[in-house]
Amino acid sequence: MYDTIVIGAGLSGMLAAIGRAERGEKVLVLAKGHGATHWSTGCIDLLADVDDPFAGIAQLASQRPNHPYALAGPAMIEQGIARLRAIGEAAGYPLAGSLNRNLLLPTALGALRPTAFAPATMIAGDARQLRDGRPTLIAGFAELRDFFPPLIAANLRAQGIAAEAAQLTLPPTGRQRDFSPMTLARLCEQPAFRAKLGEQLAAHVRKGGYARIGMPAILGLKHATEVARDLQNQAGALIFEIPTLPVSVAGMRLYQILEDELLRLGGHIQLGGFVQRAEGIGDTLVAVFSEAAAREQRHTARRWVLATGGILGGGVRATPEGHLRETALDLPLQAPDGRAGWFAPRFLNEQGHPVFQSGVRVDQRLRPLDAAGRLVYENVQVVGGALAGYDPIREGCLEGAAIATGWAVGQH
Amino acid sequence: MQTLSTDVLVIGGGATGTGCALDLAMRGIRCILVEKGDVTHGTTGRYHGLLHSGGRYVTKDPQSATECARENAILRRIMPHCIEQTSGFFVITPWDDESYGDVFVANCHRTGVPVQEITVAEMLRREPALNPRISRVFEVPDASADSFLATHSVALAAREYGAEIRTYHNVVDLIRVGNRVMGAIVEDLRSGERIRIDCAYVLNAAGAWAGKIAALAGVTVTVVPGKGTMVAMNHRMVNTVVNRCKLPSDGDIIVPIHTVAVIGTTDVHVPDPDVFGIEPEEIQFMLDEGEKLIPGFRQYRALRAWAGVRPLYKDKDVASDRDIPRTFKLLDHEERDGVSGIFSIVGGKWTTYRLMAEQTVNELARRLGNTQPCRTASEVLPVPRFEHRAHAMVTVSPDPAAQTPHYWLGKPLALVESEHAAADLICECELVTRDRIVAAIDAGAHNLDDIRRDVRMGMGPCQGGWCIYRTANLLYERRCADGLSHTHANEAILHFLQERWKGLTPVLWGDQLRQARLDELIYAGVLGIHRLRALAEPGGGLVTQHPAIATEYVQA
Repeated sequence: MYDTIVIGAGLSGMLAAIGRAERGEKVLVLAKGHGATHWSTGCIDLLADVDDPFAGIAQLASQRPNHPYALAGPAMIEQGIARLRAIGEAAGYPLAGSLNRNLLLPTALGALRPTAFAPATMIAGDARQLRDGRPTLIAGFAELRDFFPPLIAANLRAQGIAAEAAQLTLPPTGRQRDFSPMTLARLCEQPAFRAKLGEQLAAHVRKGGYARIGMPAILGLKHATEVARDLQNQAGALIFEIPTLPVSVAGMRLYQILEDELLRLGGHIQLGGFVQRAEGIGDTLVAVFSEAAAREQRHTARRWVLATGGILGGGVRATPEGHLRETALDLPLQAPDGRAGWFAPRFLNEQGHPVFQSGVRVDQRLRPLDAAGRLVYENVQVVGGALAGYDPIREGCLEGAAIATGWAVGQH
Repeated sequence: MQTLSTDVLVIGGGATGTGCALDLAMRGIRCILVEKGDVTHGTTGRYHGLLHSGGRYVTKDPQSATECARENAILRRIMPHCIEQTSGFFVITPWDDESYGDVFVANCHRTGVPVQEITVAEMLRREPALNPRISRVFEVPDASADSFLATHSVALAAREYGAEIRTYHNVVDLIRVGNRVMGAIVEDLRSGERIRIDCAYVLNAAGAWAGKIAALAGVTVTVVPGKGTMVAMNHRMVNTVVNRCKLPSDGDIIVPIHTVAVIGTTDVHVPDPDVFGIEPEEIQFMLDEGEKLIPGFRQYRALRAWAGVRPLYKDKDVASDRDIPRTFKLLDHEERDGVSGIFSIVGGKWTTYRLMAEQTVNELARRLGNTQPCRTASEVLPVPRFEHRAHAMVTVSPDPAAQTPHYWLGKPLALVESEHAAADLICECELVTRDRIVAAIDAGAHNLDDIRRDVRMGMGPCQGGWCIYRTANLLYERRCADGLSHTHANEAILHFLQERWKGLTPVLWGDQLRQARLDELIYAGVLGIHRLRALAEPGGGLVTQHPAIATEYVQA
């Protein structure tokens, strides 16, 4: 019997588990697989399209009292982020940025996306610095199908950044082909490989006088900060990483520091356990059943955190007939009525698609409510993407809302 | 205005129009083909991919059945690289009339469609997913055909014989002097330039759009746009084409093609071939019908729904659109309407495109005093360069005398694996390598949708999640020297994402809904493409935004 079982291994679940483990609880993270962290940028988005995300969050919370930020409260946002940054710092993977000012970091298309905190390996890409008139090089590898310097550079130039593109020659590796971001990240941890890259970068800098070099986010898996620093010294220019398509190396690093921290605190992680049903007595959740290798396993705990995500994470699933279902505990969902109201005609519609705001409605303590507003389980709390009434991707608060709610339930 | 002159101006770049262009060119008749979109932009590129044995028409439309049976054998010979030898079953399920089986067999014999009854046990041995409650099974030579590739091969052959094929050229007017059509004014949609084409004959092969073209000459051709909706499923749950053994109706056929299985179709009259929607009920109905053939059909992942518009020619009053004969008709407008210099070829189906072309060109050749015979039934078609799937060709027959190489799905993967070329896979779902995409771009594909039609990029489960980004970048890198700028590349991505979305919304639930959300995370979250909207504009030869080729999708 655990004190707390957290269902889901994304950012919100891991922070909730760390919070509880720190308080001496016996904690298990039980998850089908890794969360959306592996698919995202490895940055901490708090709120897009505002200069000052913290002020924006305060305003948003006053207008939308059921938004996860409003439920978690500003203190939890601050503390959750502070804790995450401390974990990163201790792991040698610092996250830089500010609650009060969004960075604008180049994407793998050359768009500038706002985010509040980024790993130190990305921070030199902030557009405010890139616009200082000094030339920037966007450097990649022809062998990598997830990063194309010419279009990135062209789009950056159109936004007032003196960017140029170059393809680096991949140092000999013993591999013939098949270079994914993951394999490149592992190769970058080898000093010899890195030295060959460094030589080429230095040659480009000598020739083009570049002050900064943007590279795909493949600069190491476990020692990224050192890899980037080393390359920076060899190249004689600042280096910044640009997140690539999933699977995201930077996202994996973020997950890894959280996993290491949880294990250090004595927490347990069980991946490959797909929670499929619940056993409750009255308004108390007693056990859940997970399926792995075609066999069911019963798990018991005093308290529970549901961190399975929304439609993206797999915590909410839709049927062809137009019903949405919470997959782990079968909790009631707040969702649009019928398929007719699910989608906007345009894919990149500004407001997003209503179906993706489906999730679990909760009380002030993030406990699940039914349609009539009655408490379903008094010992369950819901965090992150599984919560109803917001669109983490389109609002640009994917990581922020996960951290705020995850940290909040970890504390009480 | 630039003026061109030719013997025959063919309007329409579908199977029929390109087939006519090839036949004309082979006989030494000068011709220009104009198509408002890409080759296969219309109905040819939007059907399920069945090479008909003729079985579906043996009862209601025996002439079509006979034509299909003959053409089936010819197409296998002339385009083996486009045809997968799946074979086909007609099955009697508990929901079908048991007595139709004998009628079906008798009508197959009467119409010349090869048929053989096999046991249910044999059927289940070959296709274990089929409903064991099926009572009788008849095997016919159905197959699946890549209509994109086939039409590209025909177009390539036509060009080699001297035909001029102009895609993204829209007919804005026909030049009529008195009672004679003398040519056409066409607009090059890439440049906006207008061109005058003088010709001895206009051949209207515009399919579902034939009525619109005929109207420009002041003659009435009634084409009933019959919308057929299809759904692509994520698995080839069968490797054989499976038909219900009954009179053709909605949702009664499953065609395994490339990596997917397509269930089709519906038949709904729509007023305009450019304006239609896909109703959720159509999808649910087809999934229910699929369940009757393959228990558990609903559990598979639906990838995408789309609709093609059948060019059904309405000669006289017929009760339902499904009762309109599927055979074709060549209309001599001089004889029919007193307007000379123009013919319309209407009706028909993909399987009989070559025969339609043969008969049409026979007539045109006679008028032009050309006595060359038709050779399209004997000359094997060339393979386009982007189709390195010569690498997908295998010899299927152990008998050396009968060795014809045919398309085999597993071959591309085997090749990619043997060369450790996984990182060269730009579209992982459809196993499309970088080389093939670059070859398609170099062969003249204008935009991502053209590339999709050429190599099937973006047609698998992820619906472009990864490959849209990669392909747009390859397009930009290959074409930026020719004036394709970053703004055009951004537009290419935005446009293609939106085009995919149209076909996705009807089937978004379960894993495919989750996939759509992941694609949103990639494009709006990780890449921030919506932040580049101000830096996106049509142009650079993309032809993404033009009213002439916009299919208006009605939100159902």
